[in-house]
Amino acid sequence: MTMVLSRLRKKLEKVGYICDESTVLTVFLALDLQKPLLIEGAPGVGKTEMGKVLAQILETELIRLQCYEGLDETKALYEWNYQRQLLRIQMNRNLEDEQIREEDLFSSDYLLERPLLKAIQAKKPAVLLIDEVDKCDPEFEAFLFEVLSDFQVSIPELGTVTANNIPVVVLTSNNERELSDGLKRRCLYLYLDFPEVEKEVEIIKAKVPGVGDRLAWETARVVASLRRQQNLRKKPSIAETLDWARALVALNRNRLDGKLVADTLNLVLKTHADQQYFNKEIGSDGVEKMLKNTENGGDVCRCQ
Amino acid sequence: MSVSIKNDLYKSHESRLEENIATFADLLRQEGLPLGTTEMIDALKTLDRIDIANRSEFKAALQATLVKSYRDQALFSRVFDQFFIPPEEYQKRSEQKASYRQQLESQINQADNELMFKGESLQLSLNELQQYSSLSQQQRDRLQDFMLKTEKGKNVESGFRPLLETVVKSHLRYCRTQEKYKQDSHNYGEGSEVGADSGSDDQNLREMDIEAIKAADMPAAEQLLQKLSRKLAVKILRRRRTGPRSGPLDLRRSMRDNMRFGGIIFNLKHKPKRRSKQQILLLCDVSASMKQYSTFVLHFLLGLQEVVRNLSCFSFSDNIENLTPELKGRADLQHILDRVIRQSKNWGGGTDLGRALFEMVRKYPDLVNAKTTVIVVSDTKTVSIDYALDELKKLKERVKRVIWLNPLPVVYWPDYRSVNKIGELVEMWPCSTIAQLEEVLTGRL
Repeated sequence: MTMVLSRLRKKLEKVGYICDESTVLTVFLALDLQKPLLIEGAPGVGKTEMGKVLAQILETELIRLQCYEGLDETKALYEWNYQRQLLRIQMNRNLEDEQIREEDLFSSDYLLERPLLKAIQAKKPAVLLIDEVDKCDPEFEAFLFEVLSDFQVSIPELGTVTANNIPVVVLTSNNERELSDGLKRRCLYLYLDFPEVEKEVEIIKAKVPGVGDRLAWETARVVASLRRQQNLRKKPSIAETLDWARALVALNRNRLDGKLVADTLNLVLKTHADQQYFNKEIGSDGVEKMLKNTENGGDVCRCQ
Repeated sequence: MSVSIKNDLYKSHESRLEENIATFADLLRQEGLPLGTTEMIDALKTLDRIDIANRSEFKAALQATLVKSYRDQALFSRVFDQFFIPPEEYQKRSEQKASYRQQLESQINQADNELMFKGESLQLSLNELQQYSSLSQQQRDRLQDFMLKTEKGKNVESGFRPLLETVVKSHLRYCRTQEKYKQDSHNYGEGSEVGADSGSDDQNLREMDIEAIKAADMPAAEQLLQKLSRKLAVKILRRRRTGPRSGPLDLRRSMRDNMRFGGIIFNLKHKPKRRSKQQILLLCDVSASMKQYSTFVLHFLLGLQEVVRNLSCFSFSDNIENLTPELKGRADLQHILDRVIRQSKNWGGGTDLGRALFEMVRKYPDLVNAKTTVIVVSDTKTVSIDYALDELKKLKERVKRVIWLNPLPVVYWPDYRSVNKIGELVEMWPCSTIAQLEEVLTGRL
């Protein structure tokens, strides 16, 4: 898939995926070099979204493999359709003149394609999203090496299956465990961090219809401030910021105040301990003070 | 200009850029970044696809291909900024380098002229002459005075020269060591340059000496330790959970599972292999220089309590103290260690490792068995080192393994007999930074 950097930048903006220049460049290089892209970052920063957005931009199918502990090749690559094979054997018993051969039972008719095989055999280059690869076992990670480096897989009964079209491979990781060097070596690496306030405002405006300037700014400021708190167990993600902004728009609010933040806090802070911490250390008064600083030019607010 | 000359020029520029990138990659490897040929090839391939005159694009392209982990990005950025400098900066540095070289030359010539014996210069290396030039005027005068008096001494012949050279070289080495110690204690005591600038982020905290972490950064450091110990806990848990084909065939479960296939066995079930939890015994030196390091290791290991069967923590300085009951209540670690120090009768009188190990085995024999991994956090500075070595040997024979975490910088290890002797007996690892602590405990546990 040929893509020019400037065109990729425009297309990302058009679909509402706001990111910085280095992110666009890394994605472009992954597409151009036909190398898998490994994206790491905290939950909710837009890693999975990147895979979806690429499928949209390239107008191709998104094939998703959700990783979990215990995932193996039968769920990821292929499985034989045992039930169908058994039925065929049973049917054949009743037909005396027809002999079934072993090769007939192990043909592509009886092969259940799972995401990896589906991506390799796709008629058009697809986007293969291997989501949360850090959740799978190291053994499965090693199994992915052949797919990621040569875009081929070995099926004992059928031989080596090579990709008709090289898919765009996006792997995401929450960094819950360290991935092996073998996997990282085969990929280009991108780390997505929480955005700066200005960037987050752009994201809110792009994704939340009907949100006003002031509300977008204040929401982004409050969330940025929460992320700076060292003692929070789970920092609010971009997804939570967007949910919060949508909820505030649904409540017909065009600005924040301390009470509103305290009342809708559960949309942003998802653990009881974090909510208690907020009430104890920051509270509505703390939020009011911070919003007042914004008004007085503590942080540039471009609202009118 | 003809096409062939233009092509040659382009090729020569291209090959110079490739050489520079190879040199840059080499520098990154020296700094500890794991880089293979594949990454290099990918980096070179990106050159055709980007505007290499655009510094940020060039940097982002190299970062995407050469860096494979978030924590290496800061290191990459630092080395990149120092290696790929703008032309104006390059010009300035070249001029500075030339001027420095001239200055150095004249200093070395002066040193050569000053360090003479019987009309001839002493045989000193360039480094030694440079070392002499960096001494204060007072130190140089003293050394010259000594040489003059030696020269004027009775029966002092030219054959005396080698001895005099040895004395001068020893003196210069001594001055260099003193200067290094002074500089290191200044850096570690007052906080490194990175930490002193502004609020340290995670990456800076990981690389900073633990003793240099300021009180203001403690909450962030504790958060970081919790994050790292959670990661290690996940790793240990995963290791414990066995794969689908780990143990022997479980025929009963296999048959039950395959009844839906009419008795034809398609799926094999295996008996899971049981792996027991680790038993860890932590011995922390709480002498003055060690307290902060011990606190950090304690923090780290406390995060592993859910995956480690038995985590016992003891402090020692002059005698041993069991911290385990208090730690289970998640009390403030600093207060616990402060209380231990306050209550100690002989604290400050020197660490007695041998006595601590002897008491450990005598009072808590059930904790010291073949399933236990002992982690000792100490700079090895103890009284009666030979007695300590004997007790350590006895302990090592009783337990599964002994891991020694030494916060002394590795460059000083050869200077201490205790470090060398203990290092011969048990595996010793540096742990002066959070990054080193993570590397050791993630790799060894």
